[in-house]
Amino acid sequence: MRRRGVEPLLALLWLGAVGLAGVFAPWVAPRPPDLQEDVAGARYLPPLTRAHALQLSAERIRVLTALRQTADGWSGVRGGRMEAFDGKEVLGSPEPRFYLMGTDGLGRDLTGRLLYGIRHSLAIAALSAMLAIGLGVAVGCLAGLGGRALDAGLMRMVDVIRCIPRLLLILVCASLFHPSTLLLVVVLGATTWTGLARILRGEMRVLARSDLAASARASGASPLRVALRHLLPQTAPLLAVNTALRLADIILLESALALLGIAAPPPAVSLGGVMASGSDALGEAWWIAVWPGLLIAGMVLALRSLTARFLRLPDPPSVA
Amino acid sequence: MLNLRFTLDLGWRAGRMHLTRSRERVGAYLARRTMAAVPLLLGVLTLVFLLVQLAPGDPFRLEPASGVSRGAERTLRRAFEADRPLPTRYAIWLEGFLTGDLGTSYIYHRPVSALLREAAGNTLVLAGLATLFQFLLGTAAGLLAAGSRRAWLDRALAGLSSLAYSVPSFWLGLVLVWIFSVRLGWLPVSQMHSIDAAEHSRAWRAVDFLRHLLLPCLALTLPSAGGIALYVREEVRARLGRPFARSARARGIGERAVVLHALKSALLPLVNMLGLALPGILGGSVVLEVLYAWPGMGRLAYQAVLAKDEPLVLGCAWVTSVLVVAGSMLADLLSAWVDPRTREAA
Repeated sequence: MRRRGVEPLLALLWLGAVGLAGVFAPWVAPRPPDLQEDVAGARYLPPLTRAHALQLSAERIRVLTALRQTADGWSGVRGGRMEAFDGKEVLGSPEPRFYLMGTDGLGRDLTGRLLYGIRHSLAIAALSAMLAIGLGVAVGCLAGLGGRALDAGLMRMVDVIRCIPRLLLILVCASLFHPSTLLLVVVLGATTWTGLARILRGEMRVLARSDLAASARASGASPLRVALRHLLPQTAPLLAVNTALRLADIILLESALALLGIAAPPPAVSLGGVMASGSDALGEAWWIAVWPGLLIAGMVLALRSLTARFLRLPDPPSVA
Repeated sequence: MLNLRFTLDLGWRAGRMHLTRSRERVGAYLARRTMAAVPLLLGVLTLVFLLVQLAPGDPFRLEPASGVSRGAERTLRRAFEADRPLPTRYAIWLEGFLTGDLGTSYIYHRPVSALLREAAGNTLVLAGLATLFQFLLGTAAGLLAAGSRRAWLDRALAGLSSLAYSVPSFWLGLVLVWIFSVRLGWLPVSQMHSIDAAEHSRAWRAVDFLRHLLLPCLALTLPSAGGIALYVREEVRARLGRPFARSARARGIGERAVVLHALKSALLPLVNMLGLALPGILGGSVVLEVLYAWPGMGRLAYQAVLAKDEPLVLGCAWVTSVLVVAGSMLADLLSAWVDPRTREAA
């Protein structure tokens, strides 16, 4: 095996960091993703903005940048204009607000939204990929190891599904039911399994004729046991690679659907959703659309570079 | 193994290399494949037909408002023949496919076939050009990387390619709009023509069209070009170590020619990809067309589905599934042409 350098390690580290950030988003995020403290004051603040929040009453909060203490209270910039507040109006002292990634059009902190977006997108990708791999393995094994009629029937079904343009199928399905996270998972999973089924069927047909299968059968293993315990593990590298690639695919697809406005509706926060909300505000706030895209690209790049390591094994493990 | 790798690499469908009966005539082969495709297409279309029926919402539903008579809904329904029972509509619709009459769109009030023709033309320009550039740029970059003796150039090209391949194309579209339209103001944000295009000369209109074309074309080209570059680099590199490359070098052939030799033998999967790209060329990229308001097939299908415009949805599904079938046939034919071995492979 050729030496592959540090790339896969970096990819793993990055994926691990992103994954942890997603899992622990509720604890890591500085503020809840939907918190609108002050729409007018915190609207479209660029990344790395330092601001302060003044509590005026239980519900009224004012977010100011360039806060200064004056003789009788506080003054600062709010929504592009100077505003001053009487010291007696303000409850407590000003709380610092640091917007690492900037804010969106409703004054929400993008750092929190992105963290929750990662969480949501990764959860959807993981669940849909699990569904897709499960379906692909089931159909691939059945077609590869089953009888001729079963094989032909299943493969025709796969052909028909492949023939329907994927985005059209997703569009129709998404307009069929009320958009929800569950529907999204089912639709994404149900439309991305056919490739694996095809490949696995081929592999299984070859494996079924191998000595490995013959000896397992000779020692009295049931067909199910032969398939699951003896043959399926042989395809583990293939499954691992496929899982990573499906994850990358689904992350991309999900964000495309969000951009078209047919992914999970608010209050769910997804990376694609954040990007879509930024696409209308490119002139005012480039950062809303740019960050989620970079995150998605980073995740996809890492997933694919991990698979490249497997694909470049000179001779994939095979018993055939 | 080669095929498997290609599928995994690009996530696309592996080209099936089978012209099963050896030395079958191309015409007979095409006829056989077309016949086999008919039930497939019928199945796809019936499935889409039923799916659309299942969808909630009614395109003829009118909000009660002043000036809208109670009979208007019924009149509309009758005008579009949507008041017939389901089996009748299915039969009418199937007959339409044979006669070329795909019905009338609910939202555009125009024949579906005319709408499809216009949209297909627009998409063909955008996606056709993008596909051409994808393959040219991707192959060039891949060859340059594989053939280069300078390690930094190879690494830089490979890195750039994998970056381009990982970026969502619609995000690239957004960033391009932000840079070139919003910040610099050089290029238009969306649409295919300027609003006042009709008042200007022909040359002005052509330049205007190209200015509108540039950004979506770029956003569609770069990510796939990155994928193709990675693929070509990997394949050519693997082949440069094979005996035929060594013997070519031993005969004193220049390194450049050896690389081209290697490319030739890596051509088969590339040609397969081209065939499989066909549905995308005409089917359009939905997201980018929506983003740039490009009046192509993808956007048409998107509008049709959202508005539950049944005839239009079915028309779009029909065109795209025919293209998928035609694309895989084209891929098989091209690979048989490029690599005679596949003609006899079972």
